[in-house]
Amino acid sequence: MSTETERGLSHNKSDFDFHGRALDNIFDDYQDMLANGPVGHSDKYGGFWYITKSEDIFNAEQDPDTFAVGPSMLLPAFGTDVPLIPIDIDPPTHADFRKILLPMFTPMNVSKLGPGMRETARQLCQEVLAAGDVVDVSAKLARPMPTIIFSRLAGYPEQDWPIFDRWIDEIIYERTAHPETAYAAGRELNDYFDRLLDEREKAGPEADASNDLITQLLKAEVKGRKLTREELLSYCYLLFLAGLDTTAWAIRSALWYLAGNPQAQQQLREDPDLIPTAAEEFLRTLSPVQAMARTAKADTVVRGQEIKAGERVVLVFGAGNRDPEVYEEPNEIKIDREDNRHLAFGGGIHRCLGSNLGRAEMVIAMEEFLKAVPHFERANNDEPWHGVGPLTLKIGA
Amino acid sequence: MGELWVDGGRCQGHARCWALAPETFEIDEEGYAHVIPGRENSGDEPNVRKAIRNCPERAILERETDDAGEKAEEVSTS
Ligand code: SF4
Repeated sequence: MSTETERGLSHNKSDFDFHGRALDNIFDDYQDMLANGPVGHSDKYGGFWYITKSEDIFNAEQDPDTFAVGPSMLLPAFGTDVPLIPIDIDPPTHADFRKILLPMFTPMNVSKLGPGMRETARQLCQEVLAAGDVVDVSAKLARPMPTIIFSRLAGYPEQDWPIFDRWIDEIIYERTAHPETAYAAGRELNDYFDRLLDEREKAGPEADASNDLITQLLKAEVKGRKLTREELLSYCYLLFLAGLDTTAWAIRSALWYLAGNPQAQQQLREDPDLIPTAAEEFLRTLSPVQAMARTAKADTVVRGQEIKAGERVVLVFGAGNRDPEVYEEPNEIKIDREDNRHLAFGGGIHRCLGSNLGRAEMVIAMEEFLKAVPHFERANNDEPWHGVGPLTLKIGA
Repeated sequence: MGELWVDGGRCQGHARCWALAPETFEIDEEGYAHVIPGRENSGDEPNVRKAIRNCPERAILERETDDAGEKAEEVSTS
């Protein structure tokens, strides 16, 4: 008899996965899980409990003592077994590390970046137009825009940008099928930051004026001391992976939807003020981060299901964001949906640090693309939603 | 109607309140929100209701002031 049966599990999706191709057509599965077994167990990745109801996810996020992030919020790991700062750090130390960069990501600070972001988006949209009638907008806009914007903010030298895509692909997207590839790329990324930090430290105080994220980290103090090299590397590693890929995914998803829905495209062209509202709806329905892991620190019960201390727990944001108890017609993408308390950026003490930047980039990308490109549709009309990979659009008048 | 406030223990700086009702909410330099002094009674305005309904942390609360005892109660979010 399986442990699950002994523990009275009524409904179970033991092969539930939330990575890669497993996400294709995941939304029917989510509805089934929400209706018939909102808490269940999957055997993937060493085994984990999944939580799908919006309310349960919210409650878990608000209770970091029971639902801790250590040893890792990423399941499986992100090409390294070092705890990533600050997402893999639990209270009380977590707040000290997080505080360092909070001021850089306030909406006011992000809005100062606005003109530069818009200029970048405009240039990339011109390159889309110049590329012909059938264009991969993922390669031309969705991926380069966040890379350029975040790299400037963080202080990654411009000549290095072209190699970033490979590290992202290998660490984030190969880690389930080819973990050894992800770990090899993880070591390359770590070495890259080790060299970058050496150069910055050698450059000395003059470089401090640049005020980028790396400078902030080098200047920062935690409990009256500077960060160790290991801590700096861990923070840099996380920022790189979190800052570049999620935003690319969000922009790509928005363009995928609009390309397949000329009416929505028209509505946003006529009423650009609606774009931020639409962005929230894309974040809800096509969330770049579909799930994040926790570890139970004590025995606990969620919706009648017992979870033992030490077991892994996955909060399925993508399912919670389509919970019929919270959203009317949860599977409908309504670009003018006003009540949209979604879980896309997580919540509680680990809320996505870059959410204000991600939102701004998404809105600016949509605004500039709709302005620059008079009409666009999917080259392959039946193309399902993928957060990654090419997105080929027919561009025209 | 009660007096509007942001529970600092719950607010995590999503800034939805500021995006939706900037005339009522301010964000400090670490990204956390508070009600602009003098705007504590704007809870009935449509933008403020929208901010309350969209705050992911349910951190925007109303302090009941009609009774003698000061009692903090979460605004209905449905
Ligand atoms: S929306 Fe809520 S959590 Fe976000 S800043 Fe406002 S009060 Fe804080």
